Amino acid sequence: MPPDSLERAVLPAYHTAMESMSLPLAPLDRRFVTVLRWRAAVAALPILAVAGAAEAVLYRQDLPNGIVAGIAVLVALWIIAIAPSRRFAHWGFALDERELHIAHGWLTRVHTIVPIGRVQHIDLTQGPIERGCGVATLVLHTAGTDHSLVTVPGLARDQAEAVRDRIRSAIEASPW
Amino acid sequence: MNEAPRRLHPGTIVLRIVAQGPQQIAGLVALAAATSRSGFWPMIGIVSVLVVGAALVTWIRWRSFTYTIGDGELLIADGVLHRKRRSIPFDRIQDVSIDQKLLARPFGLARVRIETGGGEADEAKLDSVTLAEAARLRAVLRGTGPVTTSTDVTSDEPPRELVFAMSPKRVLTMGMFGFSLVWVGVLFAGLNQVGDVIGFNWVDVRDWANVGRQEAIALATPLFAAMAAIVALAIGAVSGVLRTLLIEHGFRLEREGDRLRRVRGLTTRTEIVLGLRRIQLALIEHGMVSGRLGWAGLRLQTLGGSDDVGGRQSVAPFAREEEITRVLAAAGYAPFDPLPLRPVAFGHVLRTAIVRGGVPLIAVIVAAFFLPLAGLALLLVPIPVVLAVLARRRHRYAIVGDTLQVMRGVLSKQIWIVPLARIQAVSVRRSLLQRLLGLATVHVDTAGAKGMGRPNVVDVAFDDAERLAAALLC
Repeated sequence: MPPDSLERAVLPAYHTAMESMSLPLAPLDRRFVTVLRWRAAVAALPILAVAGAAEAVLYRQDLPNGIVAGIAVLVALWIIAIAPSRRFAHWGFALDERELHIAHGWLTRVHTIVPIGRVQHIDLTQGPIERGCGVATLVLHTAGTDHSLVTVPGLARDQAEAVRDRIRSAIEASPW
Repeated sequence: MNEAPRRLHPGTIVLRIVAQGPQQIAGLVALAAATSRSGFWPMIGIVSVLVVGAALVTWIRWRSFTYTIGDGELLIADGVLHRKRRSIPFDRIQDVSIDQKLLARPFGLARVRIETGGGEADEAKLDSVTLAEAARLRAVLRGTGPVTTSTDVTSDEPPRELVFAMSPKRVLTMGMFGFSLVWVGVLFAGLNQVGDVIGFNWVDVRDWANVGRQEAIALATPLFAAMAAIVALAIGAVSGVLRTLLIEHGFRLEREGDRLRRVRGLTTRTEIVLGLRRIQLALIEHGMVSGRLGWAGLRLQTLGGSDDVGGRQSVAPFAREEEITRVLAAAGYAPFDPLPLRPVAFGHVLRTAIVRGGVPLIAVIVAAFFLPLAGLALLLVPIPVVLAVLARRRHRYAIVGDTLQVMRGVLSKQIWIVPLARIQAVSVRRSLLQRLLGLATVHVDTAGAKGMGRPNVVDVAFDDAERLAAALLC
């Protein structure tokens, strides 16, 4: 009994199995935005810290204050408040009975297709932030070189498990 | 089925001591110098104790290493204090290769490398056993040969069929094209170093020439430069020939059932075996000059366990087209035919010109703004444009039968033949510039690829890229 979100991700695949590249990609779980936001916040901390230190030095030297800190705060605001939802909008994911599609990227758009039969093994990982938000990351290992690890982040925990089980049964069914 | 544990050949001890000798001599000399103050005999005593000690340690390590061919597995036990046992099931063994270093040849010894496909750290080495034992091990570990101690294992092996061999003349011809100025640079750098030591200096030579006639310099300098250039070219050619001779001498590629067996090398004879099932793709390379004269090289990419950095084994380093076709056929590939291949989108010309020529063009314009004479460099602008046009003409791709064939390269040419069943993942990437031009790059991921040179299709129209990606994974 897959949850609704899985139905949305998986069902359209049946109708467009032939035109597999134009497989409609479903967005990831909304809660993934929160994960991205928290990660951005963690990344912004060093920027703010460096800016704070620079301000202190400038204050000692009797140089004008506020410019460095202002820029740092603007950058932090951008990466925490605005960028996550934009990045989220470019993520897409779909799974049919033969292939897994995953798209991401804002400047350079990347759309990766992994045939399910080529997956060597699957990991389901959950960092502390992800656990707090109830999402999980699926990591597919293939024998390839550049895509030996294909990660599908931001799936709801039960959806990720359902996808993992689907892929697992597909691997077991495939001849090699 | 179980055999008694075996040790490596006792000659290994001598071999190891001799091989480590050069590293130890410096230490011994220093030690001798340090102890020489206490007199001649104590010095001899200390040095000989150390030598005997080293020999003893080598002997103990040799004694502690055993290998056993068990029931469907190879057991390797190693270690003096920290004992280590490894079990390698036969069906995990990807490759058994045998090589013979120069030093090992008078002893008739060889090193056996057992590759399990898990990278270099996971491979087992038997260094060294006799050649006959190496051949027996190979037959047994592959699961084809009988588990006997007889040295006559050839009778049970599948028939060998010579696929490709290079005559000495061919190796020399290949060496002529192996011309490389890198070695000239290395040699000159080395001469400089040596020159510092023995008091010979290029500056001295110049001074020495100055002593002669001042006027002669005007004449002698271009003459000297020309001579240096000729010498450099000669060294480049000779080093190319020597290097090729060392690596490729006596090249033989044989087919043996479902394996290819390659033997080559002058001082270090190497033998590798490639399972046909492990071949991921074929790469045909045409050199800048030799390619124009109808020569090409063929490499096969295999999954792990290869002796070169590219993860690709050279199976025909210098061959004519029909020989390449024969090797391809032995590896189970259809001959390459360039006709059905079609070029990538026209946008590739624009993007190549912008990426390769755009930055220099801006630099020239900025320079010309300050220094009008630099504007002459604008005459060079056609070069990147011509190269871009050629790049698009030469970058072709098609799905032929059940393989993807990709051709690329303006001066030298590379042709990839990838069976669709060997493609692990495909991704379609569009950078900002590509999106503006309506282009996309199809990245094709295969197993065992290392370094540069992937069978990617760069800059096709976005719709074509989607169609290609879908077709690749059918």
